[in-house]
Amino acid sequence: MTEAEIGTNVKDVMTRDVVTVRENDTLQDLLELFKKYHYHSYPVVTPDGELLGTVNEDIVLQSLLIGSVPSAMFGRSITMLLGEDAKGIMDHHPITISPDTRLEDAAALMIKHSIHRMCVVVDKKLVGILSKRDIINEIYKVR
Amino acid sequence: MNILLQIILVLFFAKVFGEFFVRIGFPSVLGEIFAGIFLGTMIFVNPDNEILKFLAELGVIFLLFTTGYKEVNLRELQGIFRQSISPTIFGVMIPFIFGFLLGTVFNFTLLESLFIGAAFCPTSIGASVRVLIDLKYISTKVGSTILSAAILDDVIAIFTLAVLTQIALYSKIAFGQILTMGGKLVTFIFIMVVLGLHVLPKLFKYIQKMHVEEAIFSGVIVVALFSAFLADELGLHAVIGAFLGGLILSTLPFAKIRDVKDKVSGFSYGIFVPIFFVFIGLSVDLDALIAAGLFTALLIILALVGKILGGFIGSKLVGFDSYDSLIFGVGMMPRAEVGVVIISIGKSMGVISSEIFSAVVLMVAISLIVTPIALKYTVGLTNRSIS
Repeated sequence: MTEAEIGTNVKDVMTRDVVTVRENDTLQDLLELFKKYHYHSYPVVTPDGELLGTVNEDIVLQSLLIGSVPSAMFGRSITMLLGEDAKGIMDHHPITISPDTRLEDAAALMIKHSIHRMCVVVDKKLVGILSKRDIINEIYKVR
Repeated sequence: MNILLQIILVLFFAKVFGEFFVRIGFPSVLGEIFAGIFLGTMIFVNPDNEILKFLAELGVIFLLFTTGYKEVNLRELQGIFRQSISPTIFGVMIPFIFGFLLGTVFNFTLLESLFIGAAFCPTSIGASVRVLIDLKYISTKVGSTILSAAILDDVIAIFTLAVLTQIALYSKIAFGQILTMGGKLVTFIFIMVVLGLHVLPKLFKYIQKMHVEEAIFSGVIVVALFSAFLADELGLHAVIGAFLGGLILSTLPFAKIRDVKDKVSGFSYGIFVPIFFVFIGLSVDLDALIAAGLFTALLIILALVGKILGGFIGSKLVGFDSYDSLIFGVGMMPRAEVGVVIISIGKSMGVISSEIFSAVVLMVAISLIVTPIALKYTVGLTNRSIS
């Protein structure tokens, strides 16, 4: 596959209809969301769509197991693991990209750092999600 | 002994002893310190080895760097400040006064007494958290105040250390020197803020596009070492720089990619930080400890009582009842990382004697062992009074 063949931008491929989490959603709300959808991470947004952070299955699992599994405390601050809502446990500084980023640049970043999904933002507002699956599907379509 | 063999022994016993202590419900740092005491007394590993000393210095730099980078969230700090300021101030001030007075009564120098006071200030809540979770006390107001106060405690203790290292450099306190000290601290913070707000965000945007392997990871390590170097050049201690370097990186998304965070964590907690804590254990002088029996005993008692009293008064002032205030005070008793860092810096600067150093390390170990038991008992008292 040549560069020209995947010369699209993120906005052409990203998922626009995004499942989001509100900052005050409780752990219980998140568990129900996890039952319904099967993504690994979810963007946390304000009512007007501003991206605040992300929550994922790892942090929720660590929060649930913190009392019983010592290694559940690894890699996160204790205050974060003991948060009771999405705002309390989210990662505050997620990687974001612009919709005008070239798809190959986004793909390079995701491959280099094992990132599965990235939030696409314009003026701090969430406009979509780009996943590795979206990129693979696009390449498959072009092929 | 061959240095490679020493490093192998240090890392191996750090993890074995650490695992043992985690399995019986204590923080791994306790095992790492005991591993050092074991290696020093039974296998005769020598702490005077320059390479081991240098690796331990890198360990303390990366310990403080990861504290800022991974564990302290600037926004979180803003949020908790109002809630826990009074319990924190009293929980720091009273132990500091106790430590300072102890040093003065035992005729130690002003600087030694100040270092003892500073080593009494920080709190390591790891030992309390497990108990508070087990007893379902962590989500109460007192539980969340303990968590937030412990973060503020460490920040206050690190800045106290910044001032103390400056005093130690000048050896006496005069108005002109206080101005110079303040000037250097402000200059350093100014440079770090400019770096954090204007330089590093642009730099990391470029770094993430680089094609060479592990460019972001190297960038993070360079920032850690540069901040430590800059602080050192300005006469502040390298660890203060490392902590602030970690703080400014903690807001940069590219520097906090999970993959990079994991590598920084592995680099720090897999190699250098255990070497630092084992080195602390190796440096404990058991003979000096026994010779200074009364001083050691009083140091341990005052360090623990100081936290209970300070925490109790501070939380009473914000409206906690007597039981919750007592739980808060007891929950703030454990010391670990930052306390050990302060006293080891005092020792490496030649300010602290071997007996003070060893007594403080023993106090840290005892605080970690005693707190869970005392906390369970205190929460039990509260529950009985409620029922």
